[in-house]
Amino acid sequence: MTTAIEVDHVSKWFGELVAVSDVSFSLDAGVTALLGPNGAGKSTLLRIMCGLTEPSQGAVRVLGGNPRRSIQLSRRIGLVPQQEALFSKYSAFEFVHLAAVLLGLPRPRAASRAALQMVELDSDDPRPVGHYSKGMRQRVKVAQALVARPEVVVLDEPLTGLDPRQRLHLIELFKDLGDEGRCVVVSSHVLDEVERLGSRVLVLAQGRLAAEGDFRAIRDLMDDRPHRVRVRCSDAKALASTLLSTTGIVGAQVVDGTTMVVETTQAALFRRRIAIIARMKDVRLQEVVPLDDDLESVFRYLVDGT
Amino acid sequence: MTAARTTRLPIFRLVLRTQVTAPRVAALGALGAVGVVVGFALGAAADGGMAIEGKAVVPADVLAGARFVNTFGLSLLAPVTALVFAAASLGDMDEDGTLVYLWLRPVRRSRIVLAAFSASFVVSWPIVVVPLAIAAAATRAGPALVVGAVAAATVALVAYSAIFCALGLVTKRSLVWGLLYIFIWEGFVATAADSAARLAVRTYARSLLGDVSGLRLAGTYIETAAVWIVPVTVAVLALEFATWRLSRRDIA
Repeated sequence: MTTAIEVDHVSKWFGELVAVSDVSFSLDAGVTALLGPNGAGKSTLLRIMCGLTEPSQGAVRVLGGNPRRSIQLSRRIGLVPQQEALFSKYSAFEFVHLAAVLLGLPRPRAASRAALQMVELDSDDPRPVGHYSKGMRQRVKVAQALVARPEVVVLDEPLTGLDPRQRLHLIELFKDLGDEGRCVVVSSHVLDEVERLGSRVLVLAQGRLAAEGDFRAIRDLMDDRPHRVRVRCSDAKALASTLLSTTGIVGAQVVDGTTMVVETTQAALFRRRIAIIARMKDVRLQEVVPLDDDLESVFRYLVDGT
Repeated sequence: MTAARTTRLPIFRLVLRTQVTAPRVAALGALGAVGVVVGFALGAAADGGMAIEGKAVVPADVLAGARFVNTFGLSLLAPVTALVFAAASLGDMDEDGTLVYLWLRPVRRSRIVLAAFSASFVVSWPIVVVPLAIAAAATRAGPALVVGAVAAATVALVAYSAIFCALGLVTKRSLVWGLLYIFIWEGFVATAADSAARLAVRTYARSLLGDVSGLRLAGTYIETAAVWIVPVTVAVLALEFATWRLSRRDIA
């Protein structure tokens, strides 16, 4: 059986800028999330997978063919691109219908209506898509990508701008497509979205494949990294000396009499114990703030280990 | 219905709808209207006298009419109108990223380019040729000048539409480069040297105008067959280049 997507040592650079660096993986049926911060190279990688740009090095094969060379292969790939612009004078139905006609579907009108129904949009709405909200435009993009029921579906940040209900609906839709045996690749920079997809995860950071595998394994890896926490209290020196002998604390730097930065490999345990330890030492806690819980630092850890 | 028709027609309609905007039509329509007014003014001033063009003595009214059609219609209205619509036909989609919705379909790139070119020509033709024909008639230079103006403007539009369609895929500043081509190359450099003149669409359009109207305007003159063949060949080459470019380039 042919692998749906095969990325083999792919690199892409634009002048001096390396957008994707020596990335290899292969994907089959099911949902795969491409997780990474903004600028990690996700969109570039997805564009390479759809043939929109040529890799500077390496090769990509989709359904056994070269997506850059084979025009006919585009019939089997559905893409939701990142850019927002649509043919602004077209209604949602006209937009999706155009895709259906160009894809050579035998019953383009029926297919367009079905695709719009899938994303809960009214195919009789005469308003041009230029007047749609960001979330509605996003759903139109998903509808045009799914109109031919392609074997490979590539979605670049498809949940951006959607309200929570629509977000949930599309996540379920993507899962269903994966369960039907399609290869679905969804990029995101939001950890919670990826968690809900409950899928295989590829973590891309600074153009490199930082981690890959089941979401839970990636999550554990992220949770195990050292966390830095700023603690403000009535006596930082007294608290620091006790903390250093506590399990999971790898460092404590006293900034001034009332502030210190603690480094811990067990953030959850630290959060539970800090109040007890402070009470034991008769120190009054004023503030406990995680310093690097943002995604950027998570990705940085996965790439550099820092 | 053939596959080519089923895909080319929707793209043709799409390009037509995206490039025809009220401001563009209004601005270029106003330019055409100015030409009509000037044509009537020339007609009102006609006195039936004779004038010298090159080595020939010709009716002054015909000469004034031909010069006007050449200067206004073939050197300004036709290239600028073609530039505005043709450069936008694929260039606008390229710029806002919607080109991906055509590119990622099993449609030959040549069909996309041909549809964009056809839409540009179809929208430019009435905006250029109708006022130019009215203006030529209004100068009272005779029906030959009207036929010459229509033929020359049509051939010029074919070449310009193809060239600027390709230009829209080459640079994001197609309007600036197109205007530089029209006014610096064709309007300045090509008037200075005979060899450069042969690399300007305007030279062929002017020669065609002279051929059909029977009045040879001063400047580089191209032989009869070439005035038809060269602009069409240029158009074909430009469309070939646009197709090649669309196939090879990165799509946003």
